[in-house]
Amino acid sequence: MLEQLPVAFLFFAAALVLPLLPKGHLRGAVLLAIPLIAGWQVWSLPAGNLVNVEFFGFTLDLMRVDKLSRVFGLIFCLAAFLTNLYAWHIRDTVQQVAALVYAGAAIGAVFAGDLITLFIYWEGTAISSVFLIWARRTTAAYYTGMRYLIIQIGSGVILLAGVALMYNDTGSIAFEHMTLGTPATWLIFLSFGIKCAFPLLHNWLQDAYPAATVTGTVILSAFTTKLAVYALARGFAGTEILIYIGAVMTLFPIFFAEIENDLRRVLAYSLNNQLGFMVVGIGIGTEMALNGTAAHAFAHILYKALLFMSVGAVLFRTGTSKASELGGLYRTMPRTAVFCLVGAASISAFPLFSGFVTKSLIVEQTAANNYPIIWGVLVFASAGVLSHSGIKIPFFTFFAHDSGLRPKEAPMHMQLAMGITAALCIMIGVYPAPLYALLPYPIDYDAYTFGHVVTQLQLLCFALLAFCFLMRTGIHPPEIRAINLDSDWTYRRFLPKVIARVYTNISTLWGRMGAQKNRWIKALIAKAYHSHGPEGEISKSWPTGAMVIWIAVMLGITLMVSFAS
Amino acid sequence: MDTNKPDNPDSFPALGRALLWVDKPGSATKIIYALAAVCVVLGLLDFAYHKHGHFEVEYLPNFYGFYGFIMFTALILLAKTLRLFIKRPEDYYGDKAIDSETYPVDQLDEAQNDA
Repeated sequence: MLEQLPVAFLFFAAALVLPLLPKGHLRGAVLLAIPLIAGWQVWSLPAGNLVNVEFFGFTLDLMRVDKLSRVFGLIFCLAAFLTNLYAWHIRDTVQQVAALVYAGAAIGAVFAGDLITLFIYWEGTAISSVFLIWARRTTAAYYTGMRYLIIQIGSGVILLAGVALMYNDTGSIAFEHMTLGTPATWLIFLSFGIKCAFPLLHNWLQDAYPAATVTGTVILSAFTTKLAVYALARGFAGTEILIYIGAVMTLFPIFFAEIENDLRRVLAYSLNNQLGFMVVGIGIGTEMALNGTAAHAFAHILYKALLFMSVGAVLFRTGTSKASELGGLYRTMPRTAVFCLVGAASISAFPLFSGFVTKSLIVEQTAANNYPIIWGVLVFASAGVLSHSGIKIPFFTFFAHDSGLRPKEAPMHMQLAMGITAALCIMIGVYPAPLYALLPYPIDYDAYTFGHVVTQLQLLCFALLAFCFLMRTGIHPPEIRAINLDSDWTYRRFLPKVIARVYTNISTLWGRMGAQKNRWIKALIAKAYHSHGPEGEISKSWPTGAMVIWIAVMLGITLMVSFAS
Repeated sequence: MDTNKPDNPDSFPALGRALLWVDKPGSATKIIYALAAVCVVLGLLDFAYHKHGHFEVEYLPNFYGFYGFIMFTALILLAKTLRLFIKRPEDYYGDKAIDSETYPVDQLDEAQNDA
């Protein structure tokens, strides 16, 4: 029976029922059970196009199950389970419903076999996820949510325009591999690029994710961007421009992450950097590279969620996630510190942790396909990841100088969520075979060759040594209470200022023109008055008496005419 | 949060007490020396196996180690320079950004360790 039911509908049905249930453990149980049932369903569904629906003359393909959609579907279900476990304490109906609808929409989009279904779910993720930001219920969260929503909806509208053009060009709405060239494909590419946080289209991510609630940020981190990665892998695998876009994506966020004070924003930059690796993999487009992208997305969702969870737990206990205010928390939050270190080691790709067995698939492919500069960039970016996510996050939160804060250890359900996620990060790292088996193409890869382990350890340990050197010599930049401008400055500051300036100038000009017009009219009246007024030249020969005489004359004529006739 | 209370390490979780070692005088130096020793060993291991690199640079002795050290340092220096240009006060974007607002306390559970 479940074969006939799109996985996403499970989440939507639960979202409808959830508000009717009493707040408390029952709701929590539903929030955990739904992703588990959905995960089991995704696992057991046969491959194929399972559910087709007629819609205004189109046949919508709601469940295209193949190896690529399955691996993304599975990790989304797993992420929904873990994040809902982390959010067990939440009693806010808005956040609970948003979490379900958001996960459902993301999973629905992954299984969409046509572009109209993709569009509907694409917008679904945008609209549902903004409530995780608004749920913070502050003025700033409202404005940030609005900025986020405008960009996300914009991405959907561009997608729709692309789909309409595509249908016009080809008569098909199937979501298959595309080749850049027509306006339709460029629009669809741009739409995916916005959600995937391409360079200069990325700011919504760093702006919005740190503004969500403690648990909302963890949920946000899993779905939207990885949905875009999936869509790119499905639609634009082997598109060479993606290699260069991806390389820039791995590079520029590491500089911003290094000097950012809000650790949740550091993680948002870091997320952007990790997406870059996946985009490079899609750009290369070989079977191994696409395997690398899928594997890295899988591992990334877990360790990124783990890092957001640990920083979220600190925010939950201390009220801040700013590096300048934190430090020394290992004393009273040691387990959270250990979980954070596992996430840090995983994202830095230390051997025995998940990043090591997934990222190397992509980096190796850049070398195998002879992209030496891209390879150099990715190896550099790997050292950069170590710097902000591997060192900065755990070090400045849990170690470094003692902030004097002595918060209680994270609540048990948060520890449980972090513990399971950390265990998965290590399991994937130690024994990657089950993950490799899930990948879209057959794979024959051994990450644990002597050379790979040694070179990776050389890279990381020498970079760590550089960090120690820079800290000891005082060169390493201190954590300070400040923000850094990014390209969102253009639409948050520069454009509004330009528009305000233009508005002021036009309204001044308009006012002046009005005043001038008034002066002219007044001058005209004054002139007319001067000549035609009571004292005017012309009125001298036009006395009132003359008027009376003429009226008398006309009266006389009228009388004579009437007598004569 | 009150940070003036006398600290009581006995109230820390066992794992936290065990980790207190890292803050003892001299511990940090020991960690750095240990790391340096590991680096030396890793550098030497470079000669212990037959390399299969794609590019010539990979055949340079300890290429990854030097690349990591130099690029990491360059990254930090560049980022530090970048900060000179793009750093702004926290309230730069006013009430339209979360940077200068406090997180709503009613959504938190700011429990103390010894409470």
